[in-house]
Amino acid sequence: MQTILQARGLKKYYGGRNDLTKALDGIDFEVGIGEFVGIMGASGSGKTTLLNCVSTIDTVTSGKILIGENDITAMNQKALSKFRRESLGFIFQDYNLLDTLTAYENIALALSILRRPAKEIDARVNEAADALGIAGELAKYPYQMSGGQRQRVAVARAIVTEPAIVMADEPTGALDSKSSKALMENFRRLVRERNATILMVTHDAFSASYCDRILFIRDGRLYDELVRGDEARARFFDRIIEVVSRIGGDANDVG
Amino acid sequence: MTSAELALRNVKKSIRDYTIYFLTLTFAVCVFYIFNALESQQAIMSVSKNQAPIFRELGQIMSAMSVFVSVILGFLIVYANRFLIKRRKREFGVYMTLGMDRGKISRILIMETVFVGIFSLVIGLALGAVLSQGMAVMTARLLNAPITELRFVFSPESVVKTAIYFGIMFLLILIFNTIMISRQRLITLIYASRKNEAFRAPKLHASVAMFALSVVFLGVAYALVLSGKAAAKAGGYAFQIAIPLGIAGTFLFFFSLSGFFLKLIQQSKKLYLKNLNMFILRQINSKINTAYLSMTMVCLMLFVSISALSSGMGFSSVISELMSDGAPYDASFSVYAKTTGEGETTQGSGRNPALNEYPGFNLIEAIGEQGVSLDAFAKEYTAVRYHSSGRTMSMAIAEIPVVQTIDVPIYYLKLSDYNAALALQNVAPISLDTYGYAVNFAPNDTILRNSMRLYMEEGAYSVELGGSRYQTSPTRLYRYALENSKYADYNINIIVPDEATEGLPVYRDALHIRYLNNTDAVDALCTEELSKLTFGKGIETFLTTRREVMSQSNSATTIVSYLAVYLGVIFLMSAAAMLAIGQLSETSDNMGRYALLRKLGAEDAMINNALLVQILIYFGAPMLLALVHSIAGIGVAARMVSAVDDGGIWSGALFTAAAMIVIYGGYFLATYRGSQGILNRDYAEHRKGAV
Repeated sequence: MQTILQARGLKKYYGGRNDLTKALDGIDFEVGIGEFVGIMGASGSGKTTLLNCVSTIDTVTSGKILIGENDITAMNQKALSKFRRESLGFIFQDYNLLDTLTAYENIALALSILRRPAKEIDARVNEAADALGIAGELAKYPYQMSGGQRQRVAVARAIVTEPAIVMADEPTGALDSKSSKALMENFRRLVRERNATILMVTHDAFSASYCDRILFIRDGRLYDELVRGDEARARFFDRIIEVVSRIGGDANDVG
Repeated sequence: MTSAELALRNVKKSIRDYTIYFLTLTFAVCVFYIFNALESQQAIMSVSKNQAPIFRELGQIMSAMSVFVSVILGFLIVYANRFLIKRRKREFGVYMTLGMDRGKISRILIMETVFVGIFSLVIGLALGAVLSQGMAVMTARLLNAPITELRFVFSPESVVKTAIYFGIMFLLILIFNTIMISRQRLITLIYASRKNEAFRAPKLHASVAMFALSVVFLGVAYALVLSGKAAAKAGGYAFQIAIPLGIAGTFLFFFSLSGFFLKLIQQSKKLYLKNLNMFILRQINSKINTAYLSMTMVCLMLFVSISALSSGMGFSSVISELMSDGAPYDASFSVYAKTTGEGETTQGSGRNPALNEYPGFNLIEAIGEQGVSLDAFAKEYTAVRYHSSGRTMSMAIAEIPVVQTIDVPIYYLKLSDYNAALALQNVAPISLDTYGYAVNFAPNDTILRNSMRLYMEEGAYSVELGGSRYQTSPTRLYRYALENSKYADYNINIIVPDEATEGLPVYRDALHIRYLNNTDAVDALCTEELSKLTFGKGIETFLTTRREVMSQSNSATTIVSYLAVYLGVIFLMSAAAMLAIGQLSETSDNMGRYALLRKLGAEDAMINNALLVQILIYFGAPMLLALVHSIAGIGVAARMVSAVDDGGIWSGALFTAAAMIVIYGGYFLATYRGSQGILNRDYAEHRKGAV
């Protein structure tokens, strides 16, 4: 598998000499093209900081992040904006749709920012909506849709630009279990059919069980790594639960 | 920490949010002071006797206007304050969670208002005191009054007045804020920033229909005031119909404008999906439910402001021109009988027994007999005799703002007298047919002149004098000012062949003079010499010099100009400040949306451009409609003051444009920079944390 993302020795420190917080304390990992990777960890473990750094929203203290051939830690603001709109797709816990725009317009916005011609925008929005089963909702405003539908609109917006990698931050965090399941099946299909690369932060073991591989973060370091391989999803889910309880157990052990 | 310290710190901390509010207050205080201090400027200049009352009049008019102005400013300040408070609800929520009671929060707010009030009052008054020195120079120039003493004019009365008026406004805000705080519940304060304005998608088809309706309304309103035909159909109620229609049209226009444009631009996907166009249009459309009211207000205020500034300046030049019309000679001296009893006035047309006792009375000879030498000051002079006709004509005369019907007297003048009077103005003489007569009617009011012409067309209008019948035709209507007068001259003078006046009663004798040279000394000599003259019991004399007419004209010009500038500037500033505060508040409400655009990778230039276009639309749309309104409005004003050509009215346009660019443009720039600041600050805070 060809590698799309390489992180080497990522460090992110907050605060001064006396109250130093090591949000990331030397993390290395890789993501391959067409891979669906999950990042798990307790609150404060550094998983969201990791995603923010990798997705150029935040900057690292030291370390290198290569996406494709590009080292994003060496880019200036302008180059980062360009990189972000051309190579990354974002999915947020609270959808982050513009309430003033219809579903169609929310998806089209990502392409408008890329200054794509109108004809191409129209075709690609419809295609992305079909892929996520929201073709019938395109004329609706966010307030007229269910949470699950909104999140699928957000996913459509993230993939419509055909980014090198999609960054999802707790995408099922605000969804009920049925909608969560539907969304994860959508993710799998995107990986299978479009060879999409997804990096997802979650603390929900059920959602994580849809991933190909899971990185566990604890105290800013890589704690464990699970690969699903050909395993059944239910079995993979059990292994995830086991690691999660171990991380939590260790945390309670400190005595 | 005491409330006062906390309040002071809050003001300092939020100085950026307060900038426009503070500048507006300061500017308002400054303008208020300047115009109320006009009266005190008298101290540094020498004004003639004729002009002395102008300062008292100015003071009275400005006082009356200031009440009105303070109501407008009061609304503006309450409006601005409401936005500032809205932005800080969360902060008050935090105070309350920390256990601070409502009373203390109210006290903090009171202190803040007091600090802002005191700062703006002190700085505004200081600025006003300095700028009013410049105004004093302008007043002196407008009045043609030399400055006798160069010193700093300061008006304690105006300071006290400004302080009281603004004190009342701040008191209103105190009450408003206290009520606001006492009504809030902690939960709503804490979640204030999360509570979104309930967004409902507007019905676009309805917008298109309403937009069409608004265009129809405005079109009808313009037609009513501008086209005589439409006005005639409305049967004298043109204005009563046009004004409500215009307001309703403006209201509908802004209510439907964004929806209409959204629909229009959506027709072209190419344009709609280009850059952030879609975002901008939706952004404006989503806010229109709350913004249309303030945009309508702003548009109407701008309309008042543009009309006041350009017409006001224009009217003043109209007045000057009217007045110079009113002074064709260096001096006019009249001899006439005082009111002689029942129903007979000096302006009347009745017989004048006193003058008629001397049928051979010759004014010039009579002056010579009293030992006054006209040649001592006059280069040329001529006497004109007005004969009574015993008739008047009823005329509807429009003296803004009222139209009144007055009985205009009709006089007979000898052709030779008339030609001599014209000759003194270097105007070629006229000639008459043997049985013909001409009419001299000074007003340039188109309506009056047309009705006069119509009257002369009817062949039936002939006059019979000394057994002969005299005829006229509309081509024999002249409009020359025949004497110096401080008032508009509506008299109808019928010029007949000399022999026709034989035996007619004499109403008045007038002597018109051209000075040896146009100096104050000659003017003084003329006034002194002519005032010595007496012509017996019941005979009055009356002297009007050009200098008197001109100085009265200067006074009127000054009052009208100042009034126009005062109102115009206040309205302009209020409108711009309303927009600015609204936009700044909206930008900070929308920070989340802009942050999302950044996350999606929109460049700074693209976002700034979206911001600029949005603010430009908010500032531009009301201004454009107000300009269109003004063109119609000024057209009407120009017709009402038909005494003078349109040039006078449009000459105010330059001044108005300058005021617009400086004040409105200034607020626009401040708003754009401020909004950019809010977004960048938010972004910087968002990104900070990296070591």
